Amino acid sequence: MVRIGVDVGGTFTDLILVDELTNQIHVHKVPSTLEDQSIGVINGIQKLCENANVPMTDIDYVLHGTTVATNITIERNGAVVGMLTTKNYRDILHIARHKKTENFSIQQDLPWQANPLVLRRNRIPITEKLQAPDGRVKVPMNEEEVRQAVERLKKSEVDIIVVSFLFSFLNDEHEQRAKEIVKEMWPEVQCFTSSEIAPQMREYERFSTAAMNAYVAPRVSRYLSHLSSALDEAGVKGDLHIMQSSGGMATSEMVTEKPVTLLKSGPSGAVLATAWWGELEGVPNLISVDIGGTSADISVIPNNTPKIINPRDAEVNGYPVLVPMIDVEVIGAGGGSIAYIDAGGAFRVGPKSAGAHPGPACYGQGGENPCVTDANVILGRLDPEQFLGGDLQLHSELSFKAVEEKLCPKLNMSAEEAALGILKIINNFMALSIRAKSVSKGIDPREFALFAAGGAGPLHSVDLAETIGCNLVIVPNYPGISAATGLLVGDIKYDFIKSNISRLDNITDETIDSMNADLQELEEQAYTQLIKDGIKPDDILIERIAECRYAGQGFELRASIPEGILTDQSIETIRQRFDESHEEEYGHHFPNNVVELITLRIVAIGKTPSLTLPKLESGNRINPEAAFMYERETVYEVNGEIKRFSTPRYDRSKLLAHDLIQGPAIIVQRDTTTSIPPHWQATVSDNGTLFVASKVTQGGAAESVEKYFSKVR
Amino acid sequence: MTINHMSSTVIQNKIDPVTLQVIGGALKTIAKEMAHVMYRMAYSSLIRESEDLGAGVFDIFGNTLAEADSTPMQLGCLPGYIRGFQEKLGDNQHPDDIIWNNDPYAGASHSPDVALCQPIFYKGELVGYAGATAHHLDMGGAQPGLMVDVPDVYAEGLILNGVKLYDKGVRNETLIEVIRQNVRTPNEVIGDLEAQVAACRLGVKRFIELMDKYGKNTVLSACEELMNYSERMMRKEIAKIPDGVYEAESWLDNDGRHLDIPLKVHVKLTKQGEELEVDVSKSSDQVSTAFNVAYSGALCVSVHSVLRSIFLDTFMTEEDVPANEGAFRPIKITARKGSIFNPIKPAALFSRANQVNTVADLIIKALAPIIPNQTCAGSSANIQFASYAGLDENNEYWVYIEVNEGSYGGRPGKDGMDAVDFSSWNTMNNPIEDLDMHVPLVCEQYELREDTGGAGKWRGGLGIVRWNRFLTDGFMTMEGDKHTVRPWGYNGGLPGTSANLIKNPDRTAEELPSKLNGYRFQAGESVQILVPSSGGYGDPLERPAEQVFEDILDEIVSVETAYRDYGVVISDMELDIRATEIRREEMRSTRGDLPVYTQ
Repeated sequence: MVRIGVDVGGTFTDLILVDELTNQIHVHKVPSTLEDQSIGVINGIQKLCENANVPMTDIDYVLHGTTVATNITIERNGAVVGMLTTKNYRDILHIARHKKTENFSIQQDLPWQANPLVLRRNRIPITEKLQAPDGRVKVPMNEEEVRQAVERLKKSEVDIIVVSFLFSFLNDEHEQRAKEIVKEMWPEVQCFTSSEIAPQMREYERFSTAAMNAYVAPRVSRYLSHLSSALDEAGVKGDLHIMQSSGGMATSEMVTEKPVTLLKSGPSGAVLATAWWGELEGVPNLISVDIGGTSADISVIPNNTPKIINPRDAEVNGYPVLVPMIDVEVIGAGGGSIAYIDAGGAFRVGPKSAGAHPGPACYGQGGENPCVTDANVILGRLDPEQFLGGDLQLHSELSFKAVEEKLCPKLNMSAEEAALGILKIINNFMALSIRAKSVSKGIDPREFALFAAGGAGPLHSVDLAETIGCNLVIVPNYPGISAATGLLVGDIKYDFIKSNISRLDNITDETIDSMNADLQELEEQAYTQLIKDGIKPDDILIERIAECRYAGQGFELRASIPEGILTDQSIETIRQRFDESHEEEYGHHFPNNVVELITLRIVAIGKTPSLTLPKLESGNRINPEAAFMYERETVYEVNGEIKRFSTPRYDRSKLLAHDLIQGPAIIVQRDTTTSIPPHWQATVSDNGTLFVASKVTQGGAAESVEKYFSKVR
Repeated sequence: MTINHMSSTVIQNKIDPVTLQVIGGALKTIAKEMAHVMYRMAYSSLIRESEDLGAGVFDIFGNTLAEADSTPMQLGCLPGYIRGFQEKLGDNQHPDDIIWNNDPYAGASHSPDVALCQPIFYKGELVGYAGATAHHLDMGGAQPGLMVDVPDVYAEGLILNGVKLYDKGVRNETLIEVIRQNVRTPNEVIGDLEAQVAACRLGVKRFIELMDKYGKNTVLSACEELMNYSERMMRKEIAKIPDGVYEAESWLDNDGRHLDIPLKVHVKLTKQGEELEVDVSKSSDQVSTAFNVAYSGALCVSVHSVLRSIFLDTFMTEEDVPANEGAFRPIKITARKGSIFNPIKPAALFSRANQVNTVADLIIKALAPIIPNQTCAGSSANIQFASYAGLDENNEYWVYIEVNEGSYGGRPGKDGMDAVDFSSWNTMNNPIEDLDMHVPLVCEQYELREDTGGAGKWRGGLGIVRWNRFLTDGFMTMEGDKHTVRPWGYNGGLPGTSANLIKNPDRTAEELPSKLNGYRFQAGESVQILVPSSGGYGDPLERPAEQVFEDILDEIVSVETAYRDYGVVISDMELDIRATEIRREEMRSTRGDLPVYTQ
């Protein structure tokens, strides 16, 4: 079987090909084509197949992580959305939960008001009303108003329509009928209902999820259809699977219907890769830092288990999104981040990025702004002729020119001082974000190892580790493509949910029947989808969950549903399991209170093959001559002093297991460069993973460090 | 009366910057986790949906070490509750005690806000407290839910200070039974109390884990250093404004019984060096209803909260300044004994939201000309706090309490925020789908109040209109204000729109006063709450005509208002640039100098 993982970043498109027949792994990296990401993807796949000597027709799976949806929310260039909503509740999206983002701020922006997903003029009230608690019709829908509204939205040229009515999670009749009318009057326009996207109680959160889905949908589906047809044209017959925010894969058809599940598609790959590597190397606590050209993705992963944010707390840029998401933060810091002096005279780096075009000054593609990559070139940490294996020749004179012209005079600094300043600022920015994800949650980063991912990760990670007090950095075999690697270890995963509000006391046969019917419906949906996705029945795992609460409470907890057809006995088991999870979560339960079921959820997993890395021979050498390339001057700051060191370069592909390299040293490979400052050292594991540790080893990660360095001491 | 912050023991123990930040972060997380447990576990929608709760960890003097990010009004007052029961109990505090305080004369914010605190013992020594407050649906007393017009504090219901709900870990069943027999919604109240207990237990557990890990002294000196840091930051900001006296005043509608007597609120700020005194002594005398304010639990909390927002606005400040007591050390708050902000027992003081929000608005008003970039025009400065109650088919009470939000005045560089609580309130609304599911009351409208924001270069934020209908007979108590005073416009901006309360708008449309006390509604009758829209900031004629036109397209400014207030001419739903220029020129030439404040 041939599988390809493709991760499109803001600057580069990273690819990995695994041929399970020959157990060979090939990697490649091409510039991203942001106007249409699919061009870069196809170029990359072609080149990779050539390198691997695999015909494109042999590819079985293309596994894809994309930032298309995320970029839309960052650049705020999503669709113009039209919305039909219940009359007298036109401003649910504007009022939100009426809670300010900040407790102590007069000048704050509320994202939902400052940058609305749907403008008020395009939120059109429709006479209709359903009634709690069962969703029966109280006021029939005025179809004439729907027609007028569709006319109006058509005239104002909205791109897409979303129907969001109150209580539609109980009964979707009105939403569906309105959608039919939309389809009938304007067949070309895409239309979603709030109950299709997030059939859950709480109108603001449901409407916001549906609106966000609509906001990103047109661009996402345009992109995916470009990509599918480009793959077809190139002769690829295999399936296209996309990484979702939950860390599970989905088919491209599934995500076209629900693109809101892709908002964290890009960053999820590296998180899965980190957890997988941690397990492989026996390092349980990791902080994944994936630094690309445009952004850095940061995730704290205790016990090799990526954290899934509770859908009730999940939000993207301040908008709630009721879908499962991996806990990962994206910040604007990368190799292409531009350094500048702001109006007030402050030295700043990012979040603006030079991207792949024109890219940093040293790319020689017309970029004149000094970037983080330029700083690395000036300090001698990136060798111009080695970048991307020599595919992209860097021009160090242009780096100097940019820094000397744009920064030095205003800062009254030498080029090297300014370059070190750039790195300090960008590392500090990343350190703050790591602190927000660890320290500010009471997790001590000193007990964690940094996982250096992304093309720029291994250049910065050791400095970053010093800043936050970590003393172990792990550099995987192909850091530049670790997000793509993560795509190969993810299973297909879908959530199917149905609202079913039933009290679990004095339960009637009728209620049990309705629960059985709903579960059966959900399971059938799940099986059908996974079989359609090409998963063998034996590889399907179904988890059945009852989301319950004590009647009168407002928040649900999950209780797993026992196997088989539900009976009085299994209802009793659900109740017990709910009590137990309440006890576990809150340290208390109410044995005499009535339990209420709110939502039935199916998590359907389709197992896909994982990854095996080839083992390295043991070398057991210190600063191995065989891997030595050449020596060159490199600048490091030691104890506040700027010093030049004659620094050896080593070829990573020639390093063997248990070799030890003492800093200062630079380890070169096609997709990245690892910088090992003075006072740090590196060794290689059996799997080829690089461990970089401080010479002074103490604190939490010391155990792992000892394990790897004891062998050579 | 002034507040004296007890000084902490200074433990000189040099602490490295990473550990300091780790401990600061851990404390913050403990507080957040505690709040999380409460709103997830709670029964009453006021706690679980509106998040009218507070949680935090405190040192042995009651100083805040960290607080959750729920509504500030519930947070800043916990130190007062702790000091209140400390005075009562002295050394009679033990591991696993859960200590109750809801006495507004001993630190409580008002009597329905019950604080439960657990002393934290580490190796046999008291090292601090974990505490949680929550606004309970009912504590017995004269009427269900809220109260405006009751004769004294005893009529407010069950008030206890220093009584233990758990004594050394054993639940006080007698007290539980007293509660069960005295409150109208015993299941909710007892469930919510247990949620508070669970939060305290968690806070204590986490705090002890932290001490186990870093050592007691390190944790305590980190706490002290974090307070010193916040203090330094606050002093630095206060120092930036010129020394002097700044004053402002406004009026509240009435006390809920004497409907034609408005009540004065006066604020005098005296700034000297790095310190600031806020004196509200020239405000109205205390009143004979429950429309009085607890000094430490309500006034001080509100003043601290608005000063933090002005001087250490978290949106504008790059550094993360921890929310602890340090920031309050340079601030002195004075209120004359016997005034509405410092009443003499047994005056009732249940309803305090509108008064303290008015103080916050006046602090902004007094400082606006000095620091225009850190303030805003006049805001709603109110809370239309509503409680609805009735009997179900088993003749048992249901009670629903609703925080109707306000809005903010126009700001330097941006329009005011629409539809949010003002200043020290920051609750969440109750989802309509949840509300209709739980009580015999339906929400029939919840929208922005169109065409009501004060005109300005930066428009005042819009309030909301909320329309609720009773499905069965019931009562409503409304703790509202701002029916007679409009939010002020700043520097040429126009004032906003005052509040209103309308009974049966679809039938006879009767205007009701801003305060109702157990007012009866019959099944099928309804009430519409209109909250204030705020004042504009800067000259409306300087607002780009295109921006006014955008507001017209969104139907939040009418064509008539655009012409009258902004001088923007629209013909056939197109912006007429030329006619607008002429109209604006004409308006400029006929008006006088722009006032600093417009009321």
